[in-house]
Amino acid sequence: MSQHLDTQPPEWPLKLLRFLVKEEYIEEIEGDMEEMFQNNIEDLSIRKARRRYVWDTLKLLRPSLLKNFKPVPTFNQNAMYKNYFKVAYRNLLKKKAYSFINISGLGLGIACCILIFMYVTDELSYDNYHDKGNRIYRVAHTEAAKDGTTPYPFWIWGNAPVGPALKNDFPEIDKVVQFSGRSDLLLSYEDKTFQEDGVFFMDSTAFDIFSWKLLKGNPKTVLAAPFSIVLTESTARKYFGNEDPIGKTLKGSESAGRSNAGDYTVTGVMEDVPANSHFRFNALLSLNTFRISRPEIFKEWGYVDFYTYFLVNEHFDEAAFRKKIPAFVKSHIGNPEWRYTIAIEPLKDVYLRTAAERQPGETGSLPNIYVFSVIGIFILVIAMINFMNLSTARSLERSKEVGVRKSIGADRKSLISQFLGESLIIVSLSAVLAVIIVIVALPYMVDFTNKDLHIESFINWKTMSLFTALMFIIGLLSGSYPAMILSGFNPVLILKGSSRTTTGGASLRKALVVFQFTLSIALIAGTIIVYTQMNHLLDKDLGFDKEQMLILDYNYDGIVNQKSEALKAELEKNSSVISVAFSRSVPGSYFPNAGTEIETPKGEMTMMGQPIFQVGMDFVTHFGLHLIAGRTYSREHPSDSSKALIVNEAAAKQFGYQNPADIVGKKFSQWGRSGVVIGVVKDFNFTSLHRNIEPLTLPFEPYASRYLSIKIKSENIEETIKSVGEVWQNIAPHRPFLYSFLNEDFNRQYKSDFIFRRLFTTFACLAIFIACLGLLGLATYTAQQRTKEIGIRKVLGADVRNIVGLLSRDFIILVFIAILIATPISWYAMNKWLEGFAYRMTLHPWIFAIAGFIALTIAVITISFQSIKAALTNPVTSLKSE
Amino acid sequence: MKKTKLGEFEELVLLTVAALQKDAYGVEIKRELEARLKEKLSVGSIQSALKRMEEKGFLTSEFGEATQKRGGKRKRIYVTTSYAHKVLSEMKEIRAGLWESIPDLTQQLNLI
Repeated sequence: MSQHLDTQPPEWPLKLLRFLVKEEYIEEIEGDMEEMFQNNIEDLSIRKARRRYVWDTLKLLRPSLLKNFKPVPTFNQNAMYKNYFKVAYRNLLKKKAYSFINISGLGLGIACCILIFMYVTDELSYDNYHDKGNRIYRVAHTEAAKDGTTPYPFWIWGNAPVGPALKNDFPEIDKVVQFSGRSDLLLSYEDKTFQEDGVFFMDSTAFDIFSWKLLKGNPKTVLAAPFSIVLTESTARKYFGNEDPIGKTLKGSESAGRSNAGDYTVTGVMEDVPANSHFRFNALLSLNTFRISRPEIFKEWGYVDFYTYFLVNEHFDEAAFRKKIPAFVKSHIGNPEWRYTIAIEPLKDVYLRTAAERQPGETGSLPNIYVFSVIGIFILVIAMINFMNLSTARSLERSKEVGVRKSIGADRKSLISQFLGESLIIVSLSAVLAVIIVIVALPYMVDFTNKDLHIESFINWKTMSLFTALMFIIGLLSGSYPAMILSGFNPVLILKGSSRTTTGGASLRKALVVFQFTLSIALIAGTIIVYTQMNHLLDKDLGFDKEQMLILDYNYDGIVNQKSEALKAELEKNSSVISVAFSRSVPGSYFPNAGTEIETPKGEMTMMGQPIFQVGMDFVTHFGLHLIAGRTYSREHPSDSSKALIVNEAAAKQFGYQNPADIVGKKFSQWGRSGVVIGVVKDFNFTSLHRNIEPLTLPFEPYASRYLSIKIKSENIEETIKSVGEVWQNIAPHRPFLYSFLNEDFNRQYKSDFIFRRLFTTFACLAIFIACLGLLGLATYTAQQRTKEIGIRKVLGADVRNIVGLLSRDFIILVFIAILIATPISWYAMNKWLEGFAYRMTLHPWIFAIAGFIALTIAVITISFQSIKAALTNPVTSLKSE
Repeated sequence: MKKTKLGEFEELVLLTVAALQKDAYGVEIKRELEARLKEKLSVGSIQSALKRMEEKGFLTSEFGEATQKRGGKRKRIYVTTSYAHKVLSEMKEIRAGLWESIPDLTQQLNLI
């Protein structure tokens, strides 16, 4: 090998030759040099041969052999450039309508792109601020099937012992942090009391793993002692104003199932959790508070109330780790019947790429990001097509200029650069407009998306260079085709005047219009479908009563639960209150899972898991649920409190009863209770319509409730709420009166769907608007082109209708073609979107018909605006003009 | 012989091309000339002379075969044009004419 290498000539002279010598000579000269080198190797030493090669190469560098790097002798071209600018400027002013369409269309398109870019960047930036982010993972828990696969959803929420076990068994795991599920508790300082929703009991290792900035306090110890609390800056200000909170005491209420009421000492203050975090909170309590209250839970593999994240060191190998999981689980789970297993998710995937349920916070949607990116590109493409179409259509007007320039001596290159330069000027004007639009529209965008978007955070060298590069690309792309067409004109033909007959890319123009309208129609159809589906969700009968339902969340408060009967009686005295009920959850809220044993039709007891919905007295009638078999809980049957169970239809089916009535009277056993099933309610949607109705059990549990729901009359709602508040103040003065409406709470589950709808609609409308701008421009141009023809036709007796038809026909055919193309595309895409909902609207063909009709109408109106004007002009004026 | 302007070195190269016939390509021309002139020549001088003469119309060229030794690169075979032949023979005649006048001179010198 080295022998072979040695007989090669040195490389750099060859490269130099290739760079400097004329291309038509290079093969011959290279060959000659090589041959001589080989000859020299035979005669001389290799080193000498190489030296000679280098020397010969240098002697080859003679003017007659070198490339012409400066083909044209430089002379002063400033005047020509000045003229380019002058011509561009005059053209912009002379054709104000075209300039307006081009600049505003492109400006809008670019602005949409920037806004969408900001949204997408923000979505993608989630959790990127953690310095050790690429080494943070979290645990997801599930139960495997018999064959070892994991068909059931993973939960991020899981047990506690898995954390210490992982740390113990794997040396590649550096640190583990665990925190409880979201807690809601009351905190009070002197006379200030607030309900804090979303507080976590957090391990002391939190600040070693997550990069939250601690402003006061020692990151190693702030969360170590029981009953210590770390506040975020804004929470601290809420309680303490400008005082130093460190060392102060906050009275905390009980956190059901986690800790008793107690006095928390403020040990630290941290910066507010960044908005782009997959879970956020107002305060952190030390996990040790939870640990001393209920130490037994921390050894229980079956008790679910913890999120487990861990930090790995550089020896960690994700794939190898996954392989070790089964052995790890096996060594800790004694019961072979229990097929519990875990999986891990890297931090970078937890916001957008997780399929797991029971997340500590909100998750984003990757498909939505794709949808918006695509829409942004669509809009930009539509705007660019406008530009291309208008410039090529107008090419005839400028053909004379091209002819004159060419005959004076301009070559094709300089003409191309002239026209590209003009398009760059227009693009940069549009860019300025786009920036203005973005600044104006940003508050609306923030409102739409509930995202804290700031323009300042997007001004950095990276985005700026990207922006400049994008503008350049847009300018070149949209300017290149017109530049090619215009610069290709034959000056002799143009100046003779015979080029009037050539139409300059008319078929391409048509294809582009079809393309534009295909995109627009697809977007219109998409908008209609998104709207119909959302209305379908909102209007669907959920199987329970959610209107005029006032919900009071008192968070399992023991005192309220004790007084629940009195509260119910007192409230029902009010004539505006229809009924009152207590329950542990409300539809659209959270339901834990329970394992229930019920006797099957074959007579054996079978264990199945399903959500559980503990309810109080009168719940079934209160929520308007339909009892389809058996009876509901009643005061006349005192044993109901522990020996009865109501299930839904789906649960009856789950246990094998095709006729739900047959399950009534069968034995059950659940969470330490046993008795018989006494009733079956009709299925109702207790979770969002993204999901099907699951089997559900509704055990009677009047004294461990969390919510008080009050059905009120629709008249004088404000007054009713006031009087309910007074009753509340009398009976439970220690808890603030916090209420909400069930329908609003329930619909909050569709928050991200609503954001999607709003963004989708807005951008779709913009796209259609820009496409119409372009169509208007083209129609105007065609009408102008055919002024004479129209004049002659009118003289010969054509009426307005004929002429409008004549001018519109071509465009309308194009729109029809676009409808044909757009329908299957949007049908396919929207079908994919609808798959995300368990309850979907049917995709009627009329939706596409309407979308096509709307596009057609808009197009006809746009065109007729011009064509009628053209048809009404007096033929005398049009024929006179020459 | 007005605008032909054939330099001394160029003429030598042109003659070599004419002499070598089918073998007239860069390396061979250089070798031949070096052998006859008994001095080292650079590729650059030969190449630029060839290119210049091609431009002036004394030579035409086309690609020949490629060899292993040339790293797979083709040779460019040069062929003299009829115009070149005409010019060369003109030159030769002029020179011959001049030479013919020389013996007279020597005789005269001898006479002195």
